Amino acid sequence: MEEIVLGIGITALAGALATVAGAAEDTESDIGSQGDPNSQVQLAPQMGYIHRIFNKAISGEPPAYGAWCVIGAGVAWALMQINYNPALAIILGAVIAVFVQGIYCTSGYLGRTASLAKFQQPVYIDIIKSLTPVTMAHSFVAIFCTVAMCYLMATALHHPFALPLLGLVWGIALGAAGSATGNPFYGKERQYQNQKFGAGVPISASGNIVRYAEAGQRSSLDNGWFTTKFAGPASGICFGLIVFLELWRTVLFEKMMSGWGAIIMGIVLILIFTFIDRWIEVWGRKTYGPYGTTEEASS
Amino acid sequence: MSALGGAAAGGEGINPTGTVVGIVILLVSIAATYALGFSIIPLIGIIIGGALIGFGVHFVPVGGAPAAMGQAPGIATGVAMLAAGAGLAGLFGGAWAYEATGDFAVAIAGGAVGGGLMMAITCMMVNATYVFAMGIPAASGKVDKDPITGDTFPAYKSQGTEGHGLPFISFFGGVIGGLIAGLGGTLIYIELLEIYHVGLPAIMQADAAAIEPLAISMAGILAIGFFLVNAVLAAYNITGTIEGPHDPKFKRVPRAVIGCAVASAFCGFISMLIVLNTGM
Repeated sequence: MEEIVLGIGITALAGALATVAGAAEDTESDIGSQGDPNSQVQLAPQMGYIHRIFNKAISGEPPAYGAWCVIGAGVAWALMQINYNPALAIILGAVIAVFVQGIYCTSGYLGRTASLAKFQQPVYIDIIKSLTPVTMAHSFVAIFCTVAMCYLMATALHHPFALPLLGLVWGIALGAAGSATGNPFYGKERQYQNQKFGAGVPISASGNIVRYAEAGQRSSLDNGWFTTKFAGPASGICFGLIVFLELWRTVLFEKMMSGWGAIIMGIVLILIFTFIDRWIEVWGRKTYGPYGTTEEASS
Repeated sequence: MSALGGAAAGGEGINPTGTVVGIVILLVSIAATYALGFSIIPLIGIIIGGALIGFGVHFVPVGGAPAAMGQAPGIATGVAMLAAGAGLAGLFGGAWAYEATGDFAVAIAGGAVGGGLMMAITCMMVNATYVFAMGIPAASGKVDKDPITGDTFPAYKSQGTEGHGLPFISFFGGVIGGLIAGLGGTLIYIELLEIYHVGLPAIMQADAAAIEPLAISMAGILAIGFFLVNAVLAAYNITGTIEGPHDPKFKRVPRAVIGCAVASAFCGFISMLIVLNTGM
């Protein structure tokens, strides 16, 4: 019984860490323009729209976060092997991973922007100076929380995988959850704020991203400010739910029916999310209704 | 014909020459495994697991960059990325269940449910983002009517786009894809673990209990590697984006299953060589 109570506490803590990690990951990827919407940041100068948005799609978010979390977890694991305090080891691991991330950010921005030289897109040194530390700070939070969560799984919940392997698995899952949930909000709602609300961006508008703010040119910091209103927290909830429910169903129901309890609970959870998804879909159709023709919409 | 006047690329057909070459590689890998004195049962399990991952990836609705602008339906990330995320979440659950129960069926089912649960939560949050934050209803660009719910889509598709969000059939595809991919990944992990569990103590001349963490780590890291090999192969077959099982691109799935089986056979053979006892 005591073991289960401890397990539930660890599950809750891991879920909370995952939620913070998801929110920080998405905000980092939006400020740094890491995910799929960066295709438009790269495309804009080619269409004649010069901008001051950070441009560092080093790779997809899942492999990028897989790499950074495995570096953080690997260094932390190595330090713990020589008897470092786990908290200190995880912090040092995350710091080293963040420096790797910062190097990738800088070379990513310089490389991608320099490739746009023939379209007269300048390389802004002040963007590197002001935004790289911001993305590094957010990714520190994401990596630290993910590695700490993996440490809890390995030591308190006795998962068979070693800490670096858990870092790789959950780093990739973190990037997948964050990019899936957060990308549309950054891509459509922020980069194409000049398009109609409640409709997709017409393909003919591709590249015409919003480049000006209330005063002066828009900075990627403004994008971070905007996306933390929905995309960051939503990504956090997504990743937090994945981690929490995956652990919860195992910790509580693993012992029931010789292991089948956790599986039955997993199927029940999938069915619950299926019903919620269907409700959201129907709610959207009923509330917004079908799109009218251009004449109807203008009248 | 493509815009450049060449033959259309990425069709549904199976290239007979390529398939024969692939099957030869597969058979040679199995024969070489047998000739070196290994049991071929684990390799067959790895081949089935790889084929399942390739099959499962085709169910996952992936919209890539266009989905991030609400220009196409699906989840706004890469095919291989998302499938790997779901499959690895499944692998996490499956490995844990195998450690706790030692039951093959429970571990496989645990891996499948782990992948399915990850996809169910992710797909739900994608729809929540489109509907609640962006005011955009779900609409497929490939079919006019949802095969499961019967919802019609043309009127719900905004002008100048190919659809957006995740219609129910895509959500369903995502969950099924996560289930199958998680199952395949866990199957590969368990087969590799069985090989290393026996093979590593023999070649390192050490106690099996002392080698156990190494065997688990090697099986885990190679299972992730197998996962990425098969997910990327399937992504090449999909070429960009896919909406789910109702997408015409889904018909290409036999080609991916053959390709993934061949790649898994060869990679499986290589992964067995690690524990080849040469008597040195």
